[in-house]
Amino acid sequence: MKKYGSICSLLLVMTLCWAGSAEAAKAIVIDGSTTVGPIAKSFASYFMKKYQTPVTVSESGSGNGAKSLINGSCDIADMSRSMKPQEIAAAKAKGINPVASVVALDGLAMVVHPSNPVRNLTESQIADIYSGKIINWRQVGGASFPIVVIQRESNSGTQETFKELVMKGRQVVNSAETQASNGSVKNRVSQTRGAIGFIGLGYTDSLVKKVSVNGVTPSAATVNNHTYMLARELFMYTNGRPAGMVGRFVDLPKTLDGKRIIKELGFISKY
Amino acid sequence: MQNSSGMHENEAAKSGRSSVFVVSARKRKLQKISQKSGEGTLLLIASFVAIVVLFIFWFVARDAVPYFRLRGFQEFFTSSEWYPADEPPRFGALAIIYGSIMVTLGSALIAVPMGVIASICLSDILPFTVRQYVKPVIEMLAAIPSVAYGFFALVVFAPLLQNVGGPILMWTWWVIAAPVLLLAVIVASELLTAPIEKEPKKKVLHLVSALFLGSLALLFLYFVGRHLQGLVIMSGTNALNVSIILSFMALPTIVSVSEDALQAVGRELREGSYALGATRAETIIKTVLPAASSGILAAVILGIMRALGETMVVWMASGNSSHIPDPFFNYLESIRTLTATIAGDMGEADQVTGSARFHVLFAMGLLLLVVSFVSNFISERIVVRQRKVLSGQ
Amino acid sequence: MNLGTRKLLDRSFTALGIGSIIIMGLALLVVLVPIVSNGIGALVFRETVEHRKLLLSEFHRGDAGDLEKELVISNGYRQKAFDILAAFDRELEQMEPERQEVYRESYEQVRTALRVLLGPLPGEELPELTRFRYGQTRWDKAEEKLHDLLYEQKWDYSNPDVIAKPNDVSRASIFAGTSLVRLFPYVEENIDRMMMPQWTIYWGFITDSSLDSHFFGGIWPEIQGTIFLAIGAMIFAFPLGVIAAIYFTEYAREGFLNSLLRSANSTLAGVPSIVFGLFGLAFFINTLHVSESKSVLAGSLTLAIMILPTIIRAAEEAILSVPKTYKEASLGLGSTKWNTIMTVILPAALPGILTGGVISLGRAAGETAPIIFTAAVSVGTAIGLGDVLSSPTPALSWNIYNLASEHEAAAQIRHVQYGMVLSLVMIVLLLNLSAVILRARISKKLKG
Repeated sequence: MKKYGSICSLLLVMTLCWAGSAEAAKAIVIDGSTTVGPIAKSFASYFMKKYQTPVTVSESGSGNGAKSLINGSCDIADMSRSMKPQEIAAAKAKGINPVASVVALDGLAMVVHPSNPVRNLTESQIADIYSGKIINWRQVGGASFPIVVIQRESNSGTQETFKELVMKGRQVVNSAETQASNGSVKNRVSQTRGAIGFIGLGYTDSLVKKVSVNGVTPSAATVNNHTYMLARELFMYTNGRPAGMVGRFVDLPKTLDGKRIIKELGFISKY
Repeated sequence: MQNSSGMHENEAAKSGRSSVFVVSARKRKLQKISQKSGEGTLLLIASFVAIVVLFIFWFVARDAVPYFRLRGFQEFFTSSEWYPADEPPRFGALAIIYGSIMVTLGSALIAVPMGVIASICLSDILPFTVRQYVKPVIEMLAAIPSVAYGFFALVVFAPLLQNVGGPILMWTWWVIAAPVLLLAVIVASELLTAPIEKEPKKKVLHLVSALFLGSLALLFLYFVGRHLQGLVIMSGTNALNVSIILSFMALPTIVSVSEDALQAVGRELREGSYALGATRAETIIKTVLPAASSGILAAVILGIMRALGETMVVWMASGNSSHIPDPFFNYLESIRTLTATIAGDMGEADQVTGSARFHVLFAMGLLLLVVSFVSNFISERIVVRQRKVLSGQ
Repeated sequence: MNLGTRKLLDRSFTALGIGSIIIMGLALLVVLVPIVSNGIGALVFRETVEHRKLLLSEFHRGDAGDLEKELVISNGYRQKAFDILAAFDRELEQMEPERQEVYRESYEQVRTALRVLLGPLPGEELPELTRFRYGQTRWDKAEEKLHDLLYEQKWDYSNPDVIAKPNDVSRASIFAGTSLVRLFPYVEENIDRMMMPQWTIYWGFITDSSLDSHFFGGIWPEIQGTIFLAIGAMIFAFPLGVIAAIYFTEYAREGFLNSLLRSANSTLAGVPSIVFGLFGLAFFINTLHVSESKSVLAGSLTLAIMILPTIIRAAEEAILSVPKTYKEASLGLGSTKWNTIMTVILPAALPGILTGGVISLGRAAGETAPIIFTAAVSVGTAIGLGDVLSSPTPALSWNIYNLASEHEAAAQIRHVQYGMVLSLVMIVLLLNLSAVILRARISKKLKG
């Protein structure tokens, strides 16, 4: 009879599954950029505690966030770049009206391994390194050591910002290592002596060394006063001006607690 | 068992009673129809699998074809310029295809000899009691989830390779090559002195040749070892790392399937060979292996497929740089594979605008699908043929 | 070849075989040992008083009275360190501006290091993020942070031609001649009394949900998501697989259709897992719209398709291994074919079928690629049984990837990652172990 018992329990699980489906709470679904990820995740924890509204956060890249919003499969799309005209057109075609809210400012820090003596790089040196023209640290005043170039996956808003601000139409060398997120770039740079990468300012800590660009050290102050050139705004896109809980969520950066969370995470509050 | 067989007796008695009565033609027809329709339902459910396969092909192909229609075949297969996000975009997948081939080959180089030898050991050498414990352990290697392997490759193995990669390679070289060379030296000196008949002369010559060959082998070991130790590994997330981890994952498949093939070779063949005075090694190499060769080939294909289709390990630990290493066999450089590209690039896959960028990933999926289908087909044919040969002669 | 050589060759062949098996065993050890040893560290570790504080205020666990007593003692020792800071603050104010400049940056570093070690310093606003509200909760981390407080890691860039090596500079030497110098030996000596470490087994790692993106708390949402996904996949795949196996073994006639179906089955077994993910996204979510976005349902369906071939194969083998005599006896007694299958063959084959099922359950639990696009999110609460149709869920396999490579502080929460990997490996290996035991019992039973 044991065997039948196991079948019965299987059936029981099945029925429970179907029966339980009646009570479903409306959760806020967030998808998109890994750069905005830390903010979104911390906001989510804060929000769940304060309003008891469930929030789910996926970090799959800015492009994917836009796509999810257009397909109606998320409420908020985190993006580390602004939406492209094609994306907006596609959204309009599907009856979705993407509205951007600025979450925070973020500097793009060029980082190297702490053992690297290089302190400063000019914009054109960075472009040369990433296009494969400079392949050894000696060429930029460092030790004789090959450069390991680390870039981001093509769905990353950080990558697009970098290409727009630094590469200006030049191509990233195809031997560049590609990582899927800020965290993994930092991880790789902190472990690899010859590495160079770019990550959001909020991700930097003592494991990697920030390099000044054109003589300006990346920091909250230099980003805020526009002297540091590698900076961009981070967005949350929603369908129309959101009301209710989604609206509250998007407006968090304007609240006192929201500002503090952003500051503690190492980003720069815009409001 | 007792319970169910008792029940079954009851049932049988009932149905037996009913069949005593003469059944009308109409009823028989009805019975037949219900039986047929029942069978039809079963068939329908069984063909669900086939339908799913068709669906997968259809869905992947449906989104892959527009890519080739938009961009043609040439760029995809011949260029290694992978810039999907640039203006204008370029979709040369050659380097990515090459990366897939590279890690698959690398893992096969490690896993195939080890797997085949281990399976021989399991089926013919180890006593049954030991085998009982060894097999589940090997199956454990297969059961560990791929993301755990990926985590190991990224967090433990990559930093290790980067920091002490040279010494690790050297030690591995010594551990693996030294015993093999030692055996080779012993055997070779035996073979060299075999024709000599006179006893004292033979012993001396044997010793001399062994010493000579041994010192040659030692020199070889030392120089290769020193070269390996001197290697500087710039980045631990590279093709070597991934190949080693993938070979762990392919090993269990190769071992268990080729062990089955070796078991399928009957005792008669082995006993015949032993009766003719062959040693165990000779029996295995000259009799058992040829008989099981096609089954082993099938096992190898299955193992390789596992390595080719693996996603998480390569995504986490291959470095994902879409270029052909320089020189092309340099396993210490980062590479990018098809599976990792699909997983990583799906982000920008904006199907809404129907760009080539989205469809190219499906083209890669289709490529993987076709390769896995073809190799599966081949391995299946091989197994069927072997079964025929072994049973029918 | 003479007999001696042949014997030698034979022996060396044996040695090679055993050697390769030993290497495989070593490979398994090399992978499992760091995972197990570090993974256990997530569960069993020396917790500091900060951890007990965290448990009480965030999870309402522990004895408030006991903690109060401990805190009084701990704070007594901490207060002295804070007093030294306050004294130095006053000293700093009285210095001339140039000397202030000399110390300012280093002092800020000391304050930060102390804050990281002990939690917010007196007079500071309570941070909004939970991760900054407490000091180090684990003693091993506390020791690391103590080192950061005592020594500054400096890189020697004096020779630009070589890669710099780190060297530790004692902070006490930086502040020589000021009142702050007392702080370092004091903290080093009394860190035990400030942190009060004690061994603990933190079961909450398995049963709690995470706090502040996995900095604290446990991994229950992930474990639950994994269980939901795996069981969901079984609910769909198991009945289908068994029925298909019955068809293949009892009804199918040799022929084109049959061989087509069989090769479809083995093709499905060989499809790369990421392709299942693509298919799941394209079919279940974008075409069938089984749910608005990612959901457990869509993930389960995708996984079900993936494990279907394994279940079919295992069930086929189990059915074929039922002795022919059972079936013949039943048919001989006049039972119908269907009746025979349901009452004789299936009960006899059930343990074998279940074994296959259990192994596939393990595979479904461990897979990552198929659920990336269909079910997995990086942060979410444990979902109720009622939400499986519409909500996505965190799952162990995906979150291991997410935490190890996407998290902003991946290096700081290695213990959580190892704990997750260990949990996943344990779930899968336990399932496999139970399958092995099940199989051993059947073979005993069938032998009689």
